Amino acid sequence: MAAAGGGASLLVQGGAAREGCVGKTSLVLHYCENKFNDKHITTLQASFLTKKLNIDGKRVNLAIWDTAGQERFHALGPIYYRDSNGAILVYDITDEDSFQKVKNWVKELRKMLGNEICLCIVGNKIDLEKERHVSIQEAESYAESVGAKHYHTSAKQNKGIEELFLDLCKRMIETAQMDERAKGNGSSQPGAARRSIQIIDDEPPAQSGGGGCCSSG
Amino acid sequence: MLSSVMAALHWPSHSRKKMSLKSERRGIHVDQSELLCKKGCGYYGNPAWQGFCSKCWREEYQKARQKQIQEDWELAERLQREEEEAFASSQSSQGAQSLTFSKFEEKKTNEKTRKVTTVKKFFSASSRVGSKKAEIQEAKAPSPSINRQTSIETDRVSKEFIEFLKTFHKTGQEIYKQTKMFLETMHYKRDLSIEEQSECTQDFYQSVAEKMQTRGKVPPEKVEKIMDQIEKYIMTRLYKYVFCPETTDDEKKDLAIQKRIRALHWVTPQMLCVPVNEEIPEVSDMVVKAITDIIEMDSKRVPRDKLACITRCSKHIFNAIKITKNEPASADDFLPTLIYIVLKGNPPRLQSNIQYITRFCNPSRLMTGEDGYYFTNLCCAVAFIEKLDAQSLNLSQEDFDRYMSGQTSPRKQEPESWSPDACLGVKQMYKNLDLLSQLNERQERIMSEAKKLEKDLIDWTDGIAKEVQDIVEKYPLEIKPATQPLAAIDSENVENDKLPPPLQPQVYAG
Repeated sequence: MAAAGGGASLLVQGGAAREGCVGKTSLVLHYCENKFNDKHITTLQASFLTKKLNIDGKRVNLAIWDTAGQERFHALGPIYYRDSNGAILVYDITDEDSFQKVKNWVKELRKMLGNEICLCIVGNKIDLEKERHVSIQEAESYAESVGAKHYHTSAKQNKGIEELFLDLCKRMIETAQMDERAKGNGSSQPGAARRSIQIIDDEPPAQSGGGGCCSSG
Repeated sequence: MLSSVMAALHWPSHSRKKMSLKSERRGIHVDQSELLCKKGCGYYGNPAWQGFCSKCWREEYQKARQKQIQEDWELAERLQREEEEAFASSQSSQGAQSLTFSKFEEKKTNEKTRKVTTVKKFFSASSRVGSKKAEIQEAKAPSPSINRQTSIETDRVSKEFIEFLKTFHKTGQEIYKQTKMFLETMHYKRDLSIEEQSECTQDFYQSVAEKMQTRGKVPPEKVEKIMDQIEKYIMTRLYKYVFCPETTDDEKKDLAIQKRIRALHWVTPQMLCVPVNEEIPEVSDMVVKAITDIIEMDSKRVPRDKLACITRCSKHIFNAIKITKNEPASADDFLPTLIYIVLKGNPPRLQSNIQYITRFCNPSRLMTGEDGYYFTNLCCAVAFIEKLDAQSLNLSQEDFDRYMSGQTSPRKQEPESWSPDACLGVKQMYKNLDLLSQLNERQERIMSEAKKLEKDLIDWTDGIAKEVQDIVEKYPLEIKPATQPLAAIDSENVENDKLPPPLQPQVYAG
């Protein structure tokens, strides 16, 4: 049932040198579980999560894949991202090094997947604004230069997470639709169909409040 | 039903008497004679073998199985023929039901009369179609899959598939036809490269799913269910030809990764930064379960079942991490642990299995679902193991080379803390050795203390003797002669008259 509605796969990549450092896990958990407090989180794992969305009457099944951020696993990246529609690259605003790692990832993803993939660069931990080491201007101008969007979030205070995911979903849908149009719509190749995101219009608009239910968390 | 019977067949024959007695006694009292084999061979029968003894039952069963295979084909053929009469298929389902039901009936009457039933009567009474007719049909049918070696699993799966499709009436027949056609084309494509065969299968999956959605108007969640069944059906049949085919170097790769994992036996969880503490019994339990699951993958035939094994393995890993760290596991925790599990388990034919799943799994499952994620992680783990070097374990090149060449092992360098991945027996042995040496130490201590005690005791007696001697010397015992005769007490009391009057002895004259 899950995959039938139409799906988009999303990759979350932390620019972290040390594990758990940038907070990508709690970011995703907060989004999918809608919980403020870490103690309330009941999921067994935070590496594969799904979220059902309704964007402008379109049902989307979001599959969020967490990828190992350690340097030693960097070379495995392509195995993860080859079929994804979007990627969230998280850095810690108090850690300049993590921002540099994000830059590496952006370069690689753009090189391998071109413009097919929607990129989001996320500065996490804005609750620690005082200890900021990555300037807002630098981050935002960099994001613009590589065609990515920049966001600020705080997993701790649950700030900016909802907007980030919702925005990214919309962009992924747009990209997929543009892809479809470019391909001449309809005569989809078997190979292409496996890759691209499929969207099916939602029949009754009863679910239109769905976005609200998500943002309430 | 067949499979449960199969399991029962493995019961060793010498214990059959005992077992039947035991199982019968649990219920109401049964006459002793009813426990005997229905065939009258003198052995005890068993309800699990429909009242026969194991030997007689085996004979019966062989014939029954043949019958069932024929019936299956009968059923399948009929389904194909009766395309217009969608509901006519219920007739054949009755036929199938009557087979099992009448068997039951037969058994009952047998038990009542306790007659010796012949094999023929037992089964032919239940079947509608004579075995001859079925044989002819089987011979006539040119379908390649008939020539297959009829394994029990294949039979069971096709039967289930047919039963499953019946619930979809016309669409079900359409699907069955297409599946048969596909299997036939695949038969002629057996000589093609595996990539082409894979492409064919993938195209088939897609076209069937599309047709169901557009023509059959089947709701998406049902499409998924049907697709699972189709995958199960076709892959059970194709498995033999497309798993680790000779035309590829899959087997070579299998051996290579196996050798590689063996060479890496010295890798410790610490080197991989595995966030799992195997000292906790629950955690080591989970680790064992995860290893069992990943090894079990090889025994499954259907790609989806193989994926399910990987998923189960992953869930156990998550549990192990959760118990150790007490927080949900992220990919940062999961991947190293999965690598560790693969290294420890060394699952058989790992590359072949991965290739098989990639080539023949229904793509919608592999690309989107949770199973797909774990499968991708397994691919990553294998890629990591293949490319693993000193840097990825935070070791120096020299150390890495030494460990790889087997000159030293990291465990030997620090015997104080043997790694927890040593096998349980070795661990226990080390523990016991430790205890023994402790015991030895204590024994020695006791011995020395005992000796000291002995010496103390001797010293003490000596001391006492000496002291006594001293005292004796100091105060020599002198026995003085009695100065006053003891009889003085009895002598006349001289001072009686000094006593007060009441105590004055009366003196009697005389």
